[in-house]
Amino acid sequence: MDFGHYLIAGVMPYVAVAFFVFGLGYRIVYWSKAPMHLHWELFPYPHTMLEQLKEMITEVLTLHSLYRFNRKHWLPSLMMHWGFYLLVGWLVVLLLGFSFAAYVGTTGGVLVLAGSFSLFLLRLLDAEVRKISAPVEYINLIFVFTLASSGLFSGFLGDIQLVRSYFLSLLTFKPDASIAADYLIPLLLFELFLIYIPFTRMAHFAAKFFTYHKIKWGELH
Amino acid sequence: MSAVAVQKVFDEYRVLSDEVLKPGEPRVEKFLRAMRKSLQQKENWTFWLPYTLSLDTCMKCGTCAEVCPVYQATGRKEIYHPVYRTDMLRKIYKRYFTLPGKLFPWLVGAEDLTEEKLNALAENVYRCTICRRCSYVCPVAIDNGVIVREARKIFDAIGIAPDELKKKGTRLQLQAGNATGMPAVAFLDMVEFLEDEIEETRGYRIKIPVDKEGAEFLLMHNAGDYLAFAETVMGAAEVMHAAGVDWTLNSPNTGINDAVNYGVFYSDVEFSAVIKAHVETARKLGIKKLVVGECGHAFEALKYLILRLIPPEERPFEVISILELEDRWIREGRIKVDPQKNPEPVTFHDSCKLGRLGGMFEEPRRILKACCPDFREMTPNREMSLCCGGGSGFAIMEKGGFLKFRMETYGRLKAGQLKATGAKVVACACSNCKAQFREIINYHKLPMRYAGVSELLANALVR
Ligand code: SF4
Ligand code: SF4
Repeated sequence: MDFGHYLIAGVMPYVAVAFFVFGLGYRIVYWSKAPMHLHWELFPYPHTMLEQLKEMITEVLTLHSLYRFNRKHWLPSLMMHWGFYLLVGWLVVLLLGFSFAAYVGTTGGVLVLAGSFSLFLLRLLDAEVRKISAPVEYINLIFVFTLASSGLFSGFLGDIQLVRSYFLSLLTFKPDASIAADYLIPLLLFELFLIYIPFTRMAHFAAKFFTYHKIKWGELH
Repeated sequence: MSAVAVQKVFDEYRVLSDEVLKPGEPRVEKFLRAMRKSLQQKENWTFWLPYTLSLDTCMKCGTCAEVCPVYQATGRKEIYHPVYRTDMLRKIYKRYFTLPGKLFPWLVGAEDLTEEKLNALAENVYRCTICRRCSYVCPVAIDNGVIVREARKIFDAIGIAPDELKKKGTRLQLQAGNATGMPAVAFLDMVEFLEDEIEETRGYRIKIPVDKEGAEFLLMHNAGDYLAFAETVMGAAEVMHAAGVDWTLNSPNTGINDAVNYGVFYSDVEFSAVIKAHVETARKLGIKKLVVGECGHAFEALKYLILRLIPPEERPFEVISILELEDRWIREGRIKVDPQKNPEPVTFHDSCKLGRLGGMFEEPRRILKACCPDFREMTPNREMSLCCGGGSGFAIMEKGGFLKFRMETYGRLKAGQLKATGAKVVACACSNCKAQFREIINYHKLPMRYAGVSELLANALVR
């Protein structure tokens, strides 16, 4: 096992997770420590915790703002988002040892692939969106697309026995880098992705908490 | 009139005169210094969070553009895209204040600021009324409106603000008590004139109290109403009288007698100076409740924006909209109305500041339904109401061909909506909206009139 291999499969996973957790954590703490701005709510807004939860979950699961007001972006975005949700789910069911994890992972990968590809095309072909896009917008989508294809086509998402024992070895801090030999590329991409997220707009899932709960839905209650 | 045509800096309109904008002078350095301040939590605590989140997290999906009245009405013209506008500031933000933008400007869409770009930005932030319709539908709740307002703040900090809002707006108001510049004597004459008017139209005389100390209600109108929309002022007086409450208006003798606060549109410094003067006036008069007349942004300012700016113990009075009072009094039976007195079909316009930004959706509807037998909704309405185009100061801005901009964008959409209702009267409860409706009805030749909610209510009163 050469050094690069060990680095990618034995060391980088920790570095990447640390970046993700601390990078995102830093931003979240920074936002939550922001001075309380003047009231700037938009009415009507959900008042109780239950109502807010309901609206947030509906938005996260259905992307209904896009559905209502920007239909052509809705299906591609929905596919990509559901792909990510499934990939997070894949990680959980995989670690829990369910054999259907392979289906969850593969479906997730396919959805992310299809979603990012169609979003890329949409951004490229629709002149209005193209005009407000910088290169980084395309790069992000290409990144996601590459990540999903490598996860799918290397077989990483479906090889649940091996991937599970590898992840467990990471979790118990006895990284067994050797068993991940076939999956170095998807691993590396995934690690880079984790490192990249906190510093980009892809952290919008966290920012959204603040724009909704602290600003749009306010703090009158 | 100057013989030389005004230089074009963005589109065919110019709201900022050459004397204000100084398009030939170097201002970039000053702008960047002011912008740096705007990005610091301590310096700009009032809006730091909404502002920086909106700068950082736009996903460039274009949903905002689908609901923006300006973009839609101009046939989707690129320069009026909400994100085109905010990107003008975002590009500067990225170039000078973020690491990726400093290192790889082309990659993240960061751009150097030039004097020309500065001119264009200064004009473009006055093509959006900060109606925040786009923010309501944005999947990430990004607020193009707050970015526009912050840009206006930066410009004001370097001395660039429309005269209508500053020199003849907040500055005049702080000095004269009202932004119309009406002195106390003229104001008192005006009130007497209104008493005569009421007597003439209704056949009975009522006393309009002025500067009464310790009253239960201090009613403060947008002072422009006395000159332009006196029916609203008279209507409110009749309602107060009919309710038999202890109320008063105030003259410039007691401080500020104008509910407006143009600082809401372009400057937190001006905003807090004006609102402090409001509070001082109310305290000096020792009133219990400050009633905001039919003025959208004044309601937003005094009801919401004030809350975290001035500690509760320093403002020992309640703030309430005249609409809330009228609605309550009708429901309590304290005032009686006969809807047959307003037989014409009536529709209602939700002002952005009262509705989407103020939550005042049902009160005006209940009042109107009680006083008008044929009430018709405009579509879309409530939180999706289209800005009329008078917001954020536009209603008092006409120079540089700007009236045409107001009429051809927001005005065109609103005219279409109004026509579709078939109503003969459009009711609204905001001075700026009324000023815009006056022009829309005229410009688009609509067979209808506008009216204040209080005016229609007063007309239906049964004595
Ligand atoms: S402001 Fe919101 S709706 Fe508009 S492009 Fe950005 S994320 Fe999309
Ligand atoms: S705030 Fe209103 S006018 Fe401004 S960009 Fe958004 S929708 Fe358009």
